[in-house]
Amino acid sequence: MINLNYRDNRPIYEQIKSGLIELVSAGGLKSGDKLPSVRDLATQLAINPNTIQRAYRELETEGYICSVPGKGSFVAETDELVKNRREALLVKFDEAAAELRGIGVTSRELIDRLEGGDKK
Amino acid sequence: MITAEKIVKRFDRFVALDGLDLNVPKGAIYGLVGPNGAGKSTIIRHLAGIYRQDSGKITIDGEEVYENPSIKQRMAYIPDDIFYFTQAGIKDMMEFYRGIYKNFDMERYNKMREVFALDEKRPMRKLSKGMQKQAAFWLAISMRPEILILDEPVDGLDPVMRRQIWSLIMGDVAENGTTVLVSSHNLRELEDVCDHVGVMNKGRMLLERSLMELQENVVKVQAVFPEGGGLPTGLKVMHTSANGKIQSYIIRGKSEEIETVIAAASPLFYDVVPLTLEEIFIYELGGANYEIKDFIL
Repeated sequence: MINLNYRDNRPIYEQIKSGLIELVSAGGLKSGDKLPSVRDLATQLAINPNTIQRAYRELETEGYICSVPGKGSFVAETDELVKNRREALLVKFDEAAAELRGIGVTSRELIDRLEGGDKK
Repeated sequence: MITAEKIVKRFDRFVALDGLDLNVPKGAIYGLVGPNGAGKSTIIRHLAGIYRQDSGKITIDGEEVYENPSIKQRMAYIPDDIFYFTQAGIKDMMEFYRGIYKNFDMERYNKMREVFALDEKRPMRKLSKGMQKQAAFWLAISMRPEILILDEPVDGLDPVMRRQIWSLIMGDVAENGTTVLVSSHNLRELEDVCDHVGVMNKGRMLLERSLMELQENVVKVQAVFPEGGGLPTGLKVMHTSANGKIQSYIIRGKSEEIETVIAAASPLFYDVVPLTLEEIFIYELGGANYEIKDFIL
């Protein structure tokens, strides 16, 4: 379910983070679902358990998951999650839009594209 | 906690270890790397209590290792060149170890029979090199060691078995908090499993850090600057190379700080990426006069 790509130059814990976030966004994991334990994931991916712990810790700080001591980690409430994801995606959108305008795409073209997308 | 302080070891006139310091925190997975002949296997044999240093001190949890059965009982060591009693099969070795290591776990041993499809009765010297390595892991993990010392552990294993072995070790670490020290030249693999790294050269420790700290303190920057522009001064550049208009730099420092400085010089394009362990190895040793020579046959 989580794939590590060795050609990807992001650190492994970030790949785990984004893998889990994508999985949640795609509906593969729903709010309240239990995440695989650190031990299971370490065994499955053959990587350092501390790396997984770090990814989980950051996901928790960012509000995607919550940890219950002795029980494991769970996907956080969907509302919170959607809100966080929304913000993250908007930042990406702004970056893409800024770069597009940098290479000469006008705001009008971008708006047309957005509205055209809605009609489809 | 494994500590080695100022270890010196000479073989005749050859100085194999020249004041080496090494610190492995409890529960760490420590990767020991270094060029051929750096002294990795030599220090490992000291840590395992096989060699005796000429001077310096080696302790595990505050106790000296050499001739100390109570420490050795908690430790499993898999050497680069595997050695077992002549004619002994895996089962014979299991019986032997069971009598010595008080934590030897028969249940684990039986469970792992499924993983390793090996003939337990066949003399181990008749097994292939890779199969002997597998047997060594089978026995070592069955000992439930608190400390696992591995010298080139997956050398000679096929890709499936390599992953299988790492997966077993990582599972054991997650469950028991085993301290692992592993030497290897496969930096790609070490990067997945280690959280601490020690780089050795010529019998000394060149640097010893947590991997996170290492990767967060050196970055690779690729940038294209406009005509007349260039890299701002004041950065600690370790290495520079150019490919057409694209300049590559290896720079010491935090990535956010470096990014701010570079962005201020308004490059046409730039990208800041963390270094892989392999790159760290090459650049750090390059600074210590061990580098790839432009040598053409």
